Amino acid sequence: MTGKTFKIKIIILVSLLVLISLLLAGCTGIFYIPGASYGYYIWEENNSIFIEWSVDKKDTEFNGVISTDGKITAYKLKNWEEGDDIIEVGEDRIEFSAALSSQDYSDGFIFTPQDYTYLEFDLEINNGYELSRVNVGGFLENPKDDVFRIGKDYFSQLEMKPWYRKHPFSEFFYKLSANKYFTFLYLFILGIIIIEILRVTVIARRKRKIMWVMISYAVLIIIEICIYFILRFLTG
Amino acid sequence: MKKFFNKIGSLIVTREIFEDKKSLKTLYKYFLGGLLVRFIFLPFFFERDILSTYQRAAETLYTKNLGLDNLQILTNMIHSIYLFIIKSIFPAINQLFSVLLEKDTWISWIEFNSSYNIFTTLTLFKILYLVFDIGCMFLIMRFSFDDEPENKLRVFKFWIFNPILLFVVYIFARHDIIAVFTTLVALLLAKKDRKYWAIGILAIGIALRFFPIMILPLLVLYLARTKKDYIILSLTGLSGITAVELLCHFIFGKSVILPLLKTQHFEYFLSTKFDLVTGSHSSIFIFIAAYIFIILSFLHIKKKSFDLLLNYGAIIYLAYVGICFFHPQYVLWVVPFLVIAFVRRKSLLYYNWLQFVLLMVILIYWGDLVTKFVLAPIDYRYFIYLTGIIPIIERFYDSAKFVNIFRSIFTGVSLWMVYLIYKDNKKLMGNELDNNRLGKV
Repeated sequence: MTGKTFKIKIIILVSLLVLISLLLAGCTGIFYIPGASYGYYIWEENNSIFIEWSVDKKDTEFNGVISTDGKITAYKLKNWEEGDDIIEVGEDRIEFSAALSSQDYSDGFIFTPQDYTYLEFDLEINNGYELSRVNVGGFLENPKDDVFRIGKDYFSQLEMKPWYRKHPFSEFFYKLSANKYFTFLYLFILGIIIIEILRVTVIARRKRKIMWVMISYAVLIIIEICIYFILRFLTG
Repeated sequence: MKKFFNKIGSLIVTREIFEDKKSLKTLYKYFLGGLLVRFIFLPFFFERDILSTYQRAAETLYTKNLGLDNLQILTNMIHSIYLFIIKSIFPAINQLFSVLLEKDTWISWIEFNSSYNIFTTLTLFKILYLVFDIGCMFLIMRFSFDDEPENKLRVFKFWIFNPILLFVVYIFARHDIIAVFTTLVALLLAKKDRKYWAIGILAIGIALRFFPIMILPLLVLYLARTKKDYIILSLTGLSGITAVELLCHFIFGKSVILPLLKTQHFEYFLSTKFDLVTGSHSSIFIFIAAYIFIILSFLHIKKKSFDLLLNYGAIIYLAYVGICFFHPQYVLWVVPFLVIAFVRRKSLLYYNWLQFVLLMVILIYWGDLVTKFVLAPIDYRYFIYLTGIIPIIERFYDSAKFVNIFRSIFTGVSLWMVYLIYKDNKKLMGNELDNNRLGKV
């Protein structure tokens, strides 16, 4: 392997790693940048529920109520400012009101519920509902109703959700599948161009040129058929 | 029959390349590679402006008024005719008309992105630009290096894989390539010494997009051989623009050139200035001063070759993007002039790549619309709610300062490129002198 090829491979590998880490960062839902990301981020870890919120350095109020049919046994505050931020914790209910600003990037709290079947959330931003900004268990896993409930196994079920059912892949695959005539034609054109490149480069150096071209087109057709089934599977 | 096809072949890829099998094969490889990259980008990305362009075209078709768009009447006419053709061939486009006719820009953008056939629509919308781009790639080979097929191929390669071109035309999806094509036709006519045609076509280019006006004086100076020529060509240049203006005025009852002067484009020329006395009205517009300097230096070259003309075109557009405020698509105007210079001075190619990288950072100037929203066709909700690049930078550092640091580096690189081209000019003029001496001997 020449030094140049090695360098190119290293660059490609690093680029792929950066791309994958970026994609993963966007998909886990618990990843957010305090002071840059905007919204509520809710997740479960070791039987405790984490609720954090952040905004892009603008004066914003976050307030809400969380209730349950079980008991809240423990809670812990995160980045809480005494005086500005208020929290009232009852046996089965937490009520909070907190403000973020250009100096205060994010707040949050952790609580441990026990013997419960559901958790009910009523979360507001600037005294209004912005459901697309409430990420429950993952990025863009948004509730449908202003006041919403999640069951005990919500987070574990969400973990089982495959990557292709999550944003942005779900929407991308849906569009490819819904517009399948375009998708097949598009991939076919790409395939023809690739086969032509192979024909004038790799295949041109081989003996049975026509046979190799025919094999390439057969492979292209097989790929198209596979993509049809893959898209059917991915979009359910 | 064979002769006829040979003639067509020579006409498309130039005689030198067509007659050399190896060069022809290499050109085909580059063409396929370029086409592959272009096709990969076609369906998935766009910047809001292409939607506005086609919204105006849809409105034109709906109201049946070809002169609807006051600002870029010719561009709108081309898009309207093209939209009419594609909606006749692909009736599915008709479903999209309610979105295109939606007045609320945010709603139309959301509806467009959420439509199930957005990939088809974007591909069809951008194929118009692909056609002009293909036209450009075969025109640009003819600009220089006659009887040098290898260098012609290099020019072709540099055009076909130019990152700025690929970004502006296929990711950003702006229509500047139409006016670039017209400008290249005008330049080629100038090379062939078709003086009046060259100036006339450039006038159409100016009506399409304001930028070709910057090389109009260069073209007049290049084409003029006698004092009489200066007067006739200047008048032709002006009359060409006036003819387009009058034609549009009589047909559509609207001015086409004058509104361009009132747009932001012209303001950008004046945006960088030195105030001579604080608080007074006395200022020097830096680009205007630099522009006059460049034009005068071209004027005083005794033997103006076509390569020098192209180099001066590159200097003007580099000075513009280096000194003035610009939109990302304006950088495309540098590319046709630079690809020729890349062959003679490879370092310019690397600096052009650096310009592209810096441009990707400078994009942050324009916020979400030109950064994450470009990817919105894939999943608009994801890219709307994804944390934007500005808040991330702002979290750690002042985003304006951050971008301006890169903007300053961009200016530095652009001005250095101007210097390298100036050095190339000296070399070209030296070669010219040597050739003359040899001729005399």
